[in-house]
Amino acid sequence: MPDQVLDVKGLNCPLPILRAKKALKDMPAGSTLQVLATDPGAVKDFEAFCRSTGNELVESKVEGKVYEFLIRRAG
Amino acid sequence: MSGQPLYVLLCSGEREKLQMAAMMASVGAVSERRVEVFVSMNAILAFAKKASNEERHHGGRFSQLLSEKRAPEPLTLLRQGKELGELKLWACSMALDLLGWNMEQLDDELFDGPLGLTKFLSDAEAGQLVTL
Repeated sequence: MPDQVLDVKGLNCPLPILRAKKALKDMPAGSTLQVLATDPGAVKDFEAFCRSTGNELVESKVEGKVYEFLIRRAG
Repeated sequence: MSGQPLYVLLCSGEREKLQMAAMMASVGAVSERRVEVFVSMNAILAFAKKASNEERHHGGRFSQLLSEKRAPEPLTLLRQGKELGELKLWACSMALDLLGWNMEQLDDELFDGPLGLTKFLSDAEAGQLVTL
């Protein structure tokens, strides 16, 4: 179970990334954030975001039309 | 901070270019890049405290679409970038002088001060410069 869930379905670039950053900012290191998005660009965006910020992209998958990302907050 | 600093030279007052500049700056900042935006020429009109919708939203087809689809305002994205990352905005001192403006005419909270182009370009030598 993720520590927090962020629903950004219906939002387009760059809002999913901005909302995720805002959520992660207030979470302790090691905690996990699940992001639910519908923007197809979010798949590559979250890969790049995690690579540049040091947060771990634990999982990236699609369920129907919803993209799910599990991110572990960096220390 | 990761990656090269990003420097955005924003001159156009068209909504499309303001939007792209704000998207680049906010995404760069939350991706832990240092970002600096230098606002000059017609672009600065969109940052006036009392800017009309026409000054903030004029442009082409995508300007219309951005308004119709209620895309986030460029100034809102820039505020979020400042809140969540290292993002600085500079007002071109020459543009302010031509308009007879000072910093008080510009939107509160966004700008870090007036700056000359020479200093901005000198700083930008250490990073990636994008002009819009």
